[in-house]
Amino acid sequence: MRAKAAGPLSVLLLVLLMALPAAGADDFDRLRRDASRISSLSADFVQKKSMKILSKPLVSTGKFFYAAPDSIRWEYVKPIRSIVISEKGTSKRYIASGGKMIEDKTGGVQAMKIVLDEVAGWMKGKFSANPSFAASVREGPETVIVLTPTGKNTAGMIEKIEITVSRKDAVVKTVRIVEGAAAETRIDFLHTAVNPALPPGTFQDIP
Amino acid sequence: MNVRFFLILSLLLASCSSLPEIRPSADAGSACPSPFVVQKTRFIHTIEAAAAGETRSVMIGVTVADPASRTLSCALMSPEGIVFFEASRTPSGTNISRALPPFDAAEVARGMLDDIELIFLKPTEEINRAGVGDSGRTVCRRRLRDGGWLDVGKDRDGRIRIQRYSEGGRLRRSVALAAGVNPYAAIELQASEWTGYSLSMTLIEAETVPDEIRSGK
Repeated sequence: MRAKAAGPLSVLLLVLLMALPAAGADDFDRLRRDASRISSLSADFVQKKSMKILSKPLVSTGKFFYAAPDSIRWEYVKPIRSIVISEKGTSKRYIASGGKMIEDKTGGVQAMKIVLDEVAGWMKGKFSANPSFAASVREGPETVIVLTPTGKNTAGMIEKIEITVSRKDAVVKTVRIVEGAAAETRIDFLHTAVNPALPPGTFQDIP
Repeated sequence: MNVRFFLILSLLLASCSSLPEIRPSADAGSACPSPFVVQKTRFIHTIEAAAAGETRSVMIGVTVADPASRTLSCALMSPEGIVFFEASRTPSGTNISRALPPFDAAEVARGMLDDIELIFLKPTEEINRAGVGDSGRTVCRRRLRDGGWLDVGKDRDGRIRIQRYSEGGRLRRSVALAAGVNPYAAIELQASEWTGYSLSMTLIEAETVPDEIRSGK
């Protein structure tokens, strides 16, 4: 379940980073066209988790990588090292245990694969084709895309997702995943590079 | 055949279990360890859960333990920050505000809160026996109101062990805390149930909580 719960997050982040560069216009066809020009992407991220039980946000940091058409590496470095790799229709999750990375073989990994497969469609700019979320665009000093769950299952976990995109360079700056009135996850992307040459082995299994 | 054999063997072993012996010691009573929290404290741990000796899951756990009111609040989340369990327990009851499977099962949630209480809150029962256990460690024993026994002992290397036994003396939970200034820096919990599991917790952060938080900030 843990991995399943993580799925929507990974998915959303992917969508954001991939398909949002064109989100300045309320035009999902254009999103699809612009998404097709991205062949790879890398970014650092800082995640701040806020909850009532915490006096201050719990900060996690990590790195994100994407390569067209469907390769993803979503890696947390602190406070727990955790890596999700999705490539060629297969998703694997690795967790730190005993000083090394081991594969998470819980059933939730398969559930996450389903989610990531769905996300692959989003990465191609197919926002409106996804029945799990209703997407809308709000223009202002920055462009904000709001994804609202339409299904009962997702709605129980996520209230809404807000993706802030810079109007200046069309890069995703922030993602807010609102779980409820007192809980949200904010992810700030830093050092985003579009179409970089990714290191060999980025999407290979962790030895 | 093999399965039946092991089932019978397990039952025999269980039925033959008995509380570890405690030998009287003149100064054992004054040496009883008490690692439990003495003021309202928030802990954030990484939690590695294993079953059958194999790591199954890694999580982040947040616990707020208040010994004065004997309340516990806890949250479990994935490394990605998705919360799949959030609950609080007071002497008057338990409130589960979020529980995704498998934590939506009542016995799983109750068991987890029992484990947290075992680790962080001092038992309300008085020590009724103190002495020296096997391997020469100090052991202080309580008779639990709900049945069974609870031993809190200190190994020669300084590690504190909390062990809960059934009425018949079968070990149900064993908690080993870190030696040194902060016993909650590293926690190892072993559950010996029909389906056993273990938790290995490593402290990320601990802080005392001001009283105003208690009002529900």
